[in-house]
Amino acid sequence: MTEWTAALHRLWRAAVVITSREQLAELVLPPLQQLPGVRAVWGLRHAGPGDTVLAYRWQGLPLVGDRRKLVENLAPATAGPARVIEAGPELREQGVARVVAARFDQPGEAGGTILVALDDSADPEPVAVCLTQVVEVTHEAVRRLSEVRSDQEQQVRDALLAEASLQMDAVLDTEQTMYRVPRMAVPAIAEGCLVYVYEDGKPVLRSAVHVDMRLLGDMLRDPDEVRRMAEPGEHALVLRARGRVIGLLVFLFDRPADRIPPAAFLRDLAARAALAIDNGTLYEQRRQEVTRMQQHLLPTRLPWTEGLELAASYTVGDRELEVGGDFYDAVVRDDGAVAAVIGDVCGRGVDAAALTGMARHTLTALLQEGLSPQRALTRLNARLRLDGSWRFITAAVALLRPDADGYAVEWISAGHPAPVVMRADGTAGRGAGGGVPLGVLDGPQFGSSTLRLGPGDTLVMFTDGLTESRDGDGTMFEQDGLARALDRLRGEPVQALVDGLSSSADAADDIALLALRVRRSGD
Amino acid sequence: MTDLVLVVEDSDEDIEAIARAIGRSHPDVGLEFLRSGTGVLPRLGDAGRPRPKLVLLDLNMPGEGGLDVIRQVRADAGFDALRLVVFTSSENQAEAEACYAAGADSYIYKPVNFALFQSVLAQTLDYWRSRDVNVTRTVVPPLGDSSAQA
Repeated sequence: MTEWTAALHRLWRAAVVITSREQLAELVLPPLQQLPGVRAVWGLRHAGPGDTVLAYRWQGLPLVGDRRKLVENLAPATAGPARVIEAGPELREQGVARVVAARFDQPGEAGGTILVALDDSADPEPVAVCLTQVVEVTHEAVRRLSEVRSDQEQQVRDALLAEASLQMDAVLDTEQTMYRVPRMAVPAIAEGCLVYVYEDGKPVLRSAVHVDMRLLGDMLRDPDEVRRMAEPGEHALVLRARGRVIGLLVFLFDRPADRIPPAAFLRDLAARAALAIDNGTLYEQRRQEVTRMQQHLLPTRLPWTEGLELAASYTVGDRELEVGGDFYDAVVRDDGAVAAVIGDVCGRGVDAAALTGMARHTLTALLQEGLSPQRALTRLNARLRLDGSWRFITAAVALLRPDADGYAVEWISAGHPAPVVMRADGTAGRGAGGGVPLGVLDGPQFGSSTLRLGPGDTLVMFTDGLTESRDGDGTMFEQDGLARALDRLRGEPVQALVDGLSSSADAADDIALLALRVRRSGD
Repeated sequence: MTDLVLVVEDSDEDIEAIARAIGRSHPDVGLEFLRSGTGVLPRLGDAGRPRPKLVLLDLNMPGEGGLDVIRQVRADAGFDALRLVVFTSSENQAEAEACYAAGADSYIYKPVNFALFQSVLAQTLDYWRSRDVNVTRTVVPPLGDSSAQA
C-alpha cells in the first residue's frame, strides 16, 4: 500500500494545479488501473441529475459501442460511498466479475462517476477504499476548477462592464453606442447580441453582432426571424431610461447553460446601455433644437444687389448645446449703399439669444433708415446700458458705397475682430479692428478705418470663433491656419469661400461668416 | 491530431498576448504565427504541413492587409472549410461589413483587458470548434491499449 499512498499523494498535488477538466481523466484513472485484478477503469461525466452522459473516459477496456450502455446502467444514480456491483453476463464474458463504483456531484457542475472493473481474482474491499480516495481527489479538483472558473468569469464580466462603460462614455452618438454594446458583448458573454429600439411602438432592429457573421446574415434576411427575436423573453432585456422603455437588448446564446452569465449581470449591462443610448438621443435632440433656434436668429436670406455678391455661413460649435450669440445681416439702403453687420453677444443660452435678436434688429433697422454706423452702434450701446445688461457685444458695421467700378468701405468696429480683404489677384490682408465692445462704456469708443474694394475683391467679416479655434496642437487658427485656408480658397465662388473657411477651422465655438464680393463686369 | 490555428499578426505585444491566452484556455491547440498577410496563401497551400482549421487575422498590417488575405483565401474553394476570424479593436462598422462581404466568418472585438481578451479568444475557438464536423470528441484508442483520451 506504500505505493498507493505515494500515488495518491502525487494525485493530490497534481489535482490542485490542473486548469481544465479535460486533464482530469488522464490524472485520476491510471493509478486505479495499476491496482491488482483491475480490467478497466471507466469515467462518466453526467449532465446534472439524470442519465445523460456528457463524456466517456477510460483505461483498459475501451468505453465504446454497446459497452457504454452496460456501464451507464451500473452507475449509481446519486452520490455516495463506493459500492460493489456484481457484473451481468455481458461483462462477465469480457472477464469482468464485479464493478466497484462511486459518484460525486458538485452544485453547478457536471457530476462524475468512476467505475473500476475487477476480474475474479481481485478483492473489491481495498479497491473500494482506493476508489473512495480517488473520488475525493476528483471531487476536490472539480470543486476547485469550478471556483477558479467562477472567479475568471466574474473578472471577465467586471472587465466587460468597465470596458463597455468606457466605450459608451467615449461617444455621444446613438448609432455608435448601439453598435459598440453588442460588439463588446460578443463573444465574451454571448454568441449574438441585438439592439432593438421602439419606434411608434414597434421594435426596430438597429444593430446586430454575432460570432458567426454568415449565420447572422441568414437570420437578418428573414423578417419573421428578426421579429421573433424581439419577442420578450429571459434573454431579451428591456432597455429602460428615465422610466421609459426605449428598446430591447437581445442576447443569443449557443453555449452550455452553465456558461450563460447571470441574469443580474445582463440586466446591469442593459441598464448601462440604455442610459448611454438615451444620453446620445437627448444630446442629438438638443443639438437639433439649438441649430433650429440659431437659424431663427439669423436672416433667412441676404439681400441681392447689383454690384455685390453676398454669402454667409453659421457653424454651431462642436461642444455647444446652447444657442450662441453670433449674428450677421446686411441691408441695402435707399442711396444704394450696403450696410453689412456682424456681431457676437458674449455668453450663450436663452438670454444671450434674446439679446442677439434685439441687437441684429436694432442695428439693421437703424442702418436701413440711413443712420451712420457710428450712430446705429451708439444707439445699441445706449440701449444695453439702459437695460443694465451685464452682457457686452462685439460688433462691426461695414458700409459699402458704390465708387467708380468698386466700393468705398467704411469699417466701424466696437471691439470686433478685423475683417479679411481678399484681393482679386489672390492676395489677402487684414483690415483694422479696434474700439470697445458695446455695453461696456456709457460713451462708446469705435475703431474706424476705410478700405477700397475693386472688382473681384472680397470683404470677409467673421466672429472670433473662426480665428480663435485651435488645432490639435493648440495653435490658434489665426496664427497660420487662416492664411493657409485663404490661400487654398482663392478663386473660389464666394459661398464656397465662406463654407471652406468655416470648415477649415476646428469649431469649438460658434463661427459666423459674412462675405461681400464686388462683381466684375459680366459676372 | 491537434487543432492548428494560424495567427496573422504583426504586433509583438499582440502575438505574445494571443499565445498566452490560447495557451491557457486551449493548451491542446497548436499555434503558428505569420507576421504579414503575404505568407498566408503559400502557407495554406503547403501540402507538406498540417492545414490550420482557423486563421486569426489582424486587419491593419503593413503590406498585405487582412481584408486582402480574406479575399484571396475565399477565392480558392479548396479553403472553404477554413474559418477566417478577424480580431481587431476597430469600431468601424463599415469595415466589419467589408470583412463579411469578403467572406470572413467572424469579426471579433480585441479588448484591452487580458481576462476579457482571453475569454473572447476562448469563446471564439470553442464556437468554431464545436461547429467543426471533423472534430471527434472522443478519441477511440486501439483495442486493448490503455490510453488516456483528450
